[in-house]
Amino acid sequence: MASADKLINTDVPEKDVFAFHFLQSLSNLRKQNPFDTPDQKNYRVRKIKKAAYVSMARAAGGSSRLWSRALLRRAAKDDNKIVRFSRRKRKVTWKISSKRRRSNQRAPVVEEAAERLRNLVPGGGGMETSKLMEETAHYIKCLSMQVKVMQCLVDGLHYNKN
Amino acid sequence: MDLTGGFGARSGGVGPCREPIGLESLHLGDEFRQLVTTLPPENAGGSFTALLELPPTQAVELLHFTDSSSSQVAAVTGIGGEIAPPLHSFGGTLAFPSNSVLMERAARFSVIATEQQNGNISGETPTSSVPSNSSANLDRVKTEPAETDSSQRLISDSAIENQIPSPSQNNRNGKRKDFEKKGKSSTKKNKSSEENEKLPYVHVRARRGQATDSHSLAERARREKINARMKLLQELVPGCDKIQGTALVLDEIINHVQSLQRQVEMLSMRLAAVNPRIDFNLDTILASENGSLMDGSFNGTPMQLAWPHQAIETEQSFHHRQLPPPPTQQWPFDGLNQPVWGREEDQADGNDNSNLMAVSENVMVASANLHPNQVKMEL
Repeated sequence: MASADKLINTDVPEKDVFAFHFLQSLSNLRKQNPFDTPDQKNYRVRKIKKAAYVSMARAAGGSSRLWSRALLRRAAKDDNKIVRFSRRKRKVTWKISSKRRRSNQRAPVVEEAAERLRNLVPGGGGMETSKLMEETAHYIKCLSMQVKVMQCLVDGLHYNKN
Repeated sequence: MDLTGGFGARSGGVGPCREPIGLESLHLGDEFRQLVTTLPPENAGGSFTALLELPPTQAVELLHFTDSSSSQVAAVTGIGGEIAPPLHSFGGTLAFPSNSVLMERAARFSVIATEQQNGNISGETPTSSVPSNSSANLDRVKTEPAETDSSQRLISDSAIENQIPSPSQNNRNGKRKDFEKKGKSSTKKNKSSEENEKLPYVHVRARRGQATDSHSLAERARREKINARMKLLQELVPGCDKIQGTALVLDEIINHVQSLQRQVEMLSMRLAAVNPRIDFNLDTILASENGSLMDGSFNGTPMQLAWPHQAIETEQSFHHRQLPPPPTQQWPFDGLNQPVWGREEDQADGNDNSNLMAVSENVMVASANLHPNQVKMEL
């Protein structure tokens, strides 16, 4: 499939980029929270999970991918931070109105799977099915990279604990 | 020829009227003459005049026949319309043996006509119905070659189209545009189809026997786009190439995404459990991590003194994707370990593991030895 890959670009950065971003976000977390808060574990878990996603989005190339942009927007909205790329968002929402209406006519098998994918992949609501699949491919690559990084970190820390 | 014979046999009433017939006697004659005079200067070779030349008397006969037989002729806009209703009436009323012959000839000439005067077609109103009619025939001829019932379909189609002039003409224009689009990629049909995703619109070859209106062309292009991307996804997800059928493949892809997300959640839970034990002073680690690559043989103790001022310098020089070049100043821990600049050549997993282990070692060491105030300076 070399010819197809030339047309559809799904390159992700190396693992160290992901590692750097994740560690940076963790250190930011550390700075925010007081040390050793054993209570409200869920809160911490959620924070770390969100840090993982945000760092993944940043490592994957900030606003050059639709899903990363949508992820960062969602995270920023939760924190009530200022959103930077509102203009792009309007372009995406315009696509929702024009494309969604017609998408039901085409290959219903593909379309219901695309619907499920849209719920999973961030920013999937505004995309056409072909674009959605591109974004999914990139998202899967980035997710697996992030998982590898986190696994290494956990293993390393666990190893050092013993 | 056949036509005259057929005419003669069909209606005896036509016979005596034959002699005084000139073009003037037909109320359509003016349009006919106008057409005949306008057409020759515009067309070099084959065109409707060729068609008209062929059976000059028979055309007259046709017109006269329709004049006497049906009232449809009054409604037509041009000579194309004049030809079609006669054919319609032929198809409807009598089994005309040379009907198909005439239509084939018309189609053949119209093929030549449209090919030669593609540019002129839209400009002329008296002839516009003619070439558009012939292009409709062209459509029919190209899509259903050499089928016997096609001629009758041609007749009825052209008749229907002529009764609804303007919207059908738009339709035909649309179809012609599609054919031009198709013609740009290839003039003959091909079993293969290709798409070019970089251009603003897609060149698609129509497959043999498939519908060729604009909607199905676009639909087909879109479907192929989706299939190409699906193949890409199949390669990405482990175990998907063996599965047959798009539905199962898509299910597998969705499961994979869900499992990855669940893994992230699990790992973040584990990290949260580990986290409170360790005082992350990651700024320093990250900064120096940025500047040099630590391998597993890293010994933490002598480094701590060097970290603070190194951290400030290297933070500024961080690049997003690439590792920065070796710093000009002397790294105090050069003697301890060789900075591995060629880290990319190593296996990512093992190296990363060791790297992160080194990081975590530093974490432990740093938390034990560095004073928190010192850390705050670097922030």
